[in-house]
Amino acid sequence: MTALATFFWGWLLAAALLGFCMGWIAVVHRAPGVSKLWIRLLALLAAALVAASFTRIVPGRFGYWLDLFLVMFALYLCGCAVGSWLRDWVVSRSRPAS
Amino acid sequence: MHGLFKWSSKWWPGVIPLVIFWGIAAWTSTATVEGDLAARANAALKDTVLDKRRISVDGRDVTFAANAFSEDGRVSAVASVEAAPGVRLVNDETRLVPEAKPYVWSAERDVLRVTLGGNSPLPSSKSKLMEAAKANLSGVEVVDQMGLARGAPQRFDAAALLLLDQIGKLKDGKITLTDSKVALAGMARDLGGREAIAAALKNLPEGYSVAANDIQAPPYIFQAYKDPVAVTLTLTGYVPDNNVHAALVAAAGRKFFSEKVVDNLKASVGAPSGFAAAVVPALGALSRLSTGTLVVSDRVVKLSGDALYDAAAGQIRNGLGKDFPQGWQYKAEVSVKPAAAPVDPTVCQQLFSEILSKGKIRFESGKADIVADSGGLLDRLIETAMRCPNATIEIAGHTDSDGEEAANQTLSEKRAQAVTDYLVRAGLPAERFMPIGYGSAQPIAGNDSEDGKAQNRRIEFVVK
Repeated sequence: MTALATFFWGWLLAAALLGFCMGWIAVVHRAPGVSKLWIRLLALLAAALVAASFTRIVPGRFGYWLDLFLVMFALYLCGCAVGSWLRDWVVSRSRPAS
Repeated sequence: MHGLFKWSSKWWPGVIPLVIFWGIAAWTSTATVEGDLAARANAALKDTVLDKRRISVDGRDVTFAANAFSEDGRVSAVASVEAAPGVRLVNDETRLVPEAKPYVWSAERDVLRVTLGGNSPLPSSKSKLMEAAKANLSGVEVVDQMGLARGAPQRFDAAALLLLDQIGKLKDGKITLTDSKVALAGMARDLGGREAIAAALKNLPEGYSVAANDIQAPPYIFQAYKDPVAVTLTLTGYVPDNNVHAALVAAAGRKFFSEKVVDNLKASVGAPSGFAAAVVPALGALSRLSTGTLVVSDRVVKLSGDALYDAAAGQIRNGLGKDFPQGWQYKAEVSVKPAAAPVDPTVCQQLFSEILSKGKIRFESGKADIVADSGGLLDRLIETAMRCPNATIEIAGHTDSDGEEAANQTLSEKRAQAVTDYLVRAGLPAERFMPIGYGSAQPIAGNDSEDGKAQNRRIEFVVK
């Protein structure tokens, strides 16, 4: 898969940047979050998809698309985490008084 | 960490553009990725010998179908594709090349082309054979109908190349190699081609043998034409070697006492066995004909023409085949020449003298047995005797002066009697002939030289 990343590194970067932006926004966003139940369900789904990818049970192009999605999603999550952490750090520095 | 968990519940809106990105990425990259993987898989198999290789890529999964020439080669080919970077799964559809039993290879030649068929063990040996065939047979179309199969006998290439060499010596035919047995059939291009092929087959690699060699040679032709108008005997066609050549021309000279021998013979290998033993008596039979053609084609002797009288025709038809070596056939188409007009006894005498001046009736040395070479001359004398049915003829035997006079007298009498018997057997009435022996009493030349003695040893026909 690493060898193939040369073909779509742009898309991976886009996913990571998208995650970064989303993470940046999420810290100060006032919209309602996803309930814990949903998060668990989605985590389960993600685990199932990762398991399917590693066991290679999805054949042909669908298998390739699944792998691609999981890689992009993983980078998105990383981007989110970095974005949120950085924003939090910036916000906490700008409110030293409190 | 708690913060991260809290914030993560608000990350979901970004998933919507992420899914859109993913869709576009999947749409645009799939074909490129598949093309790249196919190229990598093919590159990984560059040095592997396979037949019917087919690689198709679906996503990152490679379907690899091929026929391998050994189990090791098959396993290593699959491993090479699996090791290509980026390949997720290999659907292994490889097989071993089927094993042929019996292992058959063939080369067939017809007028237009040479077709190579059957099996060959590897693509490299297949192309080697094709190249050799094209080099050997310049100007002839070479068609490749060879398949690939395992199970070839040892040293297959060497044997097949040697057999391909032989195809060049055929006009048409087929050479088949079945396991290590060679079978050949067809017609050689040249006289001697059959022998050349048989000799070359001795160099087959060890373990190979010839099961059947049915190569035919072009017919070995010898012809002789007796032309009564030009008074010539024309010999054409082939003789085995210079010795036989000389022997045949000498025999023709003895048998054809008045004709000039025109010698157009060529020496060539490929003569059937017993050639000279069959052709010499056949020439004797031809010498007895007024006009005729002798055609010897392989072991078939065909004689056609006109005999001088009925009994001679019968003798020629029935007598000749008995002298032939085994395996020879004799076909005679002998008719009888129309009888010549009767003449006066005086003319008869002139004709006898004329004939006997050109040739002599010959006997075995010291005996009263007429040699076969004199058949033509005697037939001519008999024909002449038939033209003057009322004349009485003295058959006079003479000898040279060597030896005792009494013995010479007896020999001359016996020889005269032998000639008379010959004439009677030909159907002439015995009472017309008077055999008389003169011993050495009436020489026509001096007995002091070999030449003179030879002239004195003679039979004369004297019309009374």
